[in-house]
Amino acid sequence: MTDAFSNWSGSLRFTPATHARPANEAQLQQLVRDAGAEGRTVRVHGAGHSSTPLVQTADILVSMKAFKGVVRQEGDILTVRSGMMLKEANQTFLEHGLALENLGDVDLQALAGAIGTGTHGTGRNLRILSNHLVGGRLVNGQGEIVEFTLETDPELTLAARVALGALGIFTEYRLQLVPAFQLHRQEWCTHIEDCMAHLDALIANHRNFDFYWYPRSDEAKLRTLNPPGEEPTDLPYAWCQKAKTGWSGDVIPRGRDNKFDEIEYWLPIENGPACFAEVRERIKAVHRKTVGWRVLYRTVAGDEAFLSGAHGRDSATVSMHHNASLPHEAFFRDMEPILLRHGGRPHWGKKHYQNAEGLRPLYPQWERFQRIRRAMDPNGVFLNPHLHDLFEGPAGATP
Amino acid sequence: MNNSTGNAAGPGHAAGRTAWAIAGGHIPLRSTGREPEHTSRDELCLLNTGAEDAEVEVTLFYSDRDPVGPYRLRVSARRVRRVRVNDLINPEAPPLDQDYGAIVTSNVPIVLQFERKDTSGSENGILTTLGLPL
Repeated sequence: MTDAFSNWSGSLRFTPATHARPANEAQLQQLVRDAGAEGRTVRVHGAGHSSTPLVQTADILVSMKAFKGVVRQEGDILTVRSGMMLKEANQTFLEHGLALENLGDVDLQALAGAIGTGTHGTGRNLRILSNHLVGGRLVNGQGEIVEFTLETDPELTLAARVALGALGIFTEYRLQLVPAFQLHRQEWCTHIEDCMAHLDALIANHRNFDFYWYPRSDEAKLRTLNPPGEEPTDLPYAWCQKAKTGWSGDVIPRGRDNKFDEIEYWLPIENGPACFAEVRERIKAVHRKTVGWRVLYRTVAGDEAFLSGAHGRDSATVSMHHNASLPHEAFFRDMEPILLRHGGRPHWGKKHYQNAEGLRPLYPQWERFQRIRRAMDPNGVFLNPHLHDLFEGPAGATP
Repeated sequence: MNNSTGNAAGPGHAAGRTAWAIAGGHIPLRSTGREPEHTSRDELCLLNTGAEDAEVEVTLFYSDRDPVGPYRLRVSARRVRRVRVNDLINPEAPPLDQDYGAIVTSNVPIVLQFERKDTSGSENGILTTLGLPL
């Protein structure tokens, strides 16, 4: 009997028929070939941090834990095996004098999950983590090895940067990193109206800036990160509560032991303030009785990955959280139309209630991605019901 | 656990008790006026006169479901701390507009005062009471 799998928040639980841990690439190829021949589905799990059923399968769940370590370093390009956790990867990069350009709010994810779902941090000029991908090696839906680089196959690379595990199972990532760097992180407290009055300057003047809004007090926590010694002047309308300096991998993410579920949407950056204003008004008017978790506002630079939430546009992201022990669906479903109305695209790894019909018009390169996906996995070995809904529409719908 | 140092008053003495109860919790849903100063709220006012930090645990009780907690708080030695029940979040946000009770325990004696600010109808309205020492 296989053990049940639970995601980080506990909102997703299932029991696969098989939980496989291939020891090497050849075993992984055989596993995928056999699954294809038997008409079974294969999904790969990492840390289980996503709260959408991306990894859910009644068939074969794969762990890539055996795939660890560095393959080679060529200057700032590091090729690593795909089974590392993000925290572990950050440490490995640092040991090679390198770092990711940016990180998210937490580093609980697997490297593969962070890349595959388009994980992002905050910073007007900083792109999603997947943007580091400049090549790789994967096992496609027919059990074949596909090796590519940005130079040899730019279209596949842009599809593979955010692919939700639908093109194949990566065994190696080729990552264009940046020299390791330190940051000075400061956390500030102020009123949300002061924050919004200075929002443009806060976004423009800091390498990384985001804020949390507390719906039960109207206060805001601002977080700024800058190269040490290059911080702008103090914020006269806020007081600094906490400060820390260290390597990027140590100071950008923060610890989080309180489990939550989350919905997050990517908006055209110019729509962010109006969307947030509507979110704030709606939560205060309707949801404050049960909702206490803060709302997070971030910015991300636009990029070219076909399924990136920031594809083709600089973005603001707005995310709402709710304690994992409390029912979240009525809250999230009520808020989602506001996010959509402002041009939002859902974060793939967080709760949303969209399928192919609604998603297709949001991504200019949608059909290009689907064409590549069908070529890489013609028999749908990597297509679980959730991905089928996302890419093809509800069961029975015509692609 | 030491549950009483009732005669403590001087510097370094830990005044109060290590367990307290509140029976009449109820955070008003509506607020009037600018927040956070005029947010309707229940507030725990904690006093630690002792020389040791107080590690405080709050458990909330409801009329229709199991207790929730502990919410963990620290009150530094010889300090006061006010904590809005509205702002408690870990393990979960307490609901507004619902009756609740609370048990507050500490590793060292503390004094617990309970305060409600209700701005549902106007900007000012305060009820203050001492928690029940156990």
